[in-house]
Amino acid sequence: MSTTPDHVARFQSWLEEHRGIVVKVARSFAPVSADAADLQQEMLLQLWTSLASYAGQAKPSTWIYRVCLNTALTWRRGTARRENRLERGADLEAIAAGAGSPADHAGDGEVLDQLYAAIHALPMFDRALVLLALDGLAYREIAEITGLTENHVGVSLTRARKRLAELMKGAIDELE
Amino acid sequence: MNWNDYEAIWKRQALPAGAAADVTELRHSFETKRRKLAATLLVRDWVEASAGLLGAIAFAFIWWLQGKSGWPIAGAILLILGVTAVFIRERIRAHRLRLGADAPLLAKLDADLAELHHQRRLLLSVWKWYLAPCGAAIVIVSLTISLHRPAWDLARDGRFLGVYFACTAGMMWVVWLLNRQAVRKQLDPRVEELEKLRRDLLSTS
Repeated sequence: MSTTPDHVARFQSWLEEHRGIVVKVARSFAPVSADAADLQQEMLLQLWTSLASYAGQAKPSTWIYRVCLNTALTWRRGTARRENRLERGADLEAIAAGAGSPADHAGDGEVLDQLYAAIHALPMFDRALVLLALDGLAYREIAEITGLTENHVGVSLTRARKRLAELMKGAIDELE
Repeated sequence: MNWNDYEAIWKRQALPAGAAADVTELRHSFETKRRKLAATLLVRDWVEASAGLLGAIAFAFIWWLQGKSGWPIAGAILLILGVTAVFIRERIRAHRLRLGADAPLLAKLDADLAELHHQRRLLLSVWKWYLAPCGAAIVIVSLTISLHRPAWDLARDGRFLGVYFACTAGMMWVVWLLNRQAVRKQLDPRVEELEKLRRDLLSTS
């Protein structure tokens, strides 16, 4: 793998611009902050090692989403037992409480925590779809990241949004 | 609250600022990890390839000690080199077909599944490409040595040979069991997990 100054500069500039993707994917797939930090490290490592193979066919953000989501799916597989235990023992509110960052509590903090907890309660791929949709990606871009057709993305996303709404309704009721 | 509200809250969330400050440390840490991983893989590949080569050299040495009468050992050498060739072919295949982490999710999932199924097939048929050739090679070399020893030598003793071959067969059986266990405890749960992920991804209901 090349580690030219160009490689380093690209990594640095992409990280500055798209760090949010890494943070959001990590928090959506790992509800506990220590796990999210581990996952972030893993995603950054994958981004660094995969950068040499970036051929410019996809937009940097699309490419970063792909690497991060592929890493998150693999990472979860390795820690599935630990996460299953966590999911069984904790309700949505408890998961959200463990995940919150101080900055989030300034304004929409509680709802955002519930949103992350609800996303985490979704099946794996629904989680990825919702995350991409919340970030405002078009069906075409989501299709490019997932490898599904745009129609399929539309249908799956409708289902995932419905599930999210159900989860959020329960969580918001609890908040109120 | 509806989807638009969630989207608005999502976009307003506070995220960490740029990573300019820690990129040097990240890079250093990643390079160290990458080098360690590359070294581990290199050692593993060499150990796998050189074990067969060392076995072949050892057999060649025994043949040399036996003289012309040791010619059946040539068959054992070929069998061991065949096993080494399988290892090398598998490494080359793995390097060539590996799909990067930047592939679309469905393509990566399919590639991971195909690789797991391939590994599963390989482990389940280990008797065919590893245990049988190695066992046959051991039998050829042992019998070649035994048949050219004097009648009073322990190596000609039927009971000794029986125990020796039983131990060898037992060792092979343990290796076969370990491979079966690896399939059952490691590969099968992962295959099941990935297939469930794939079904979820392609499900529209």
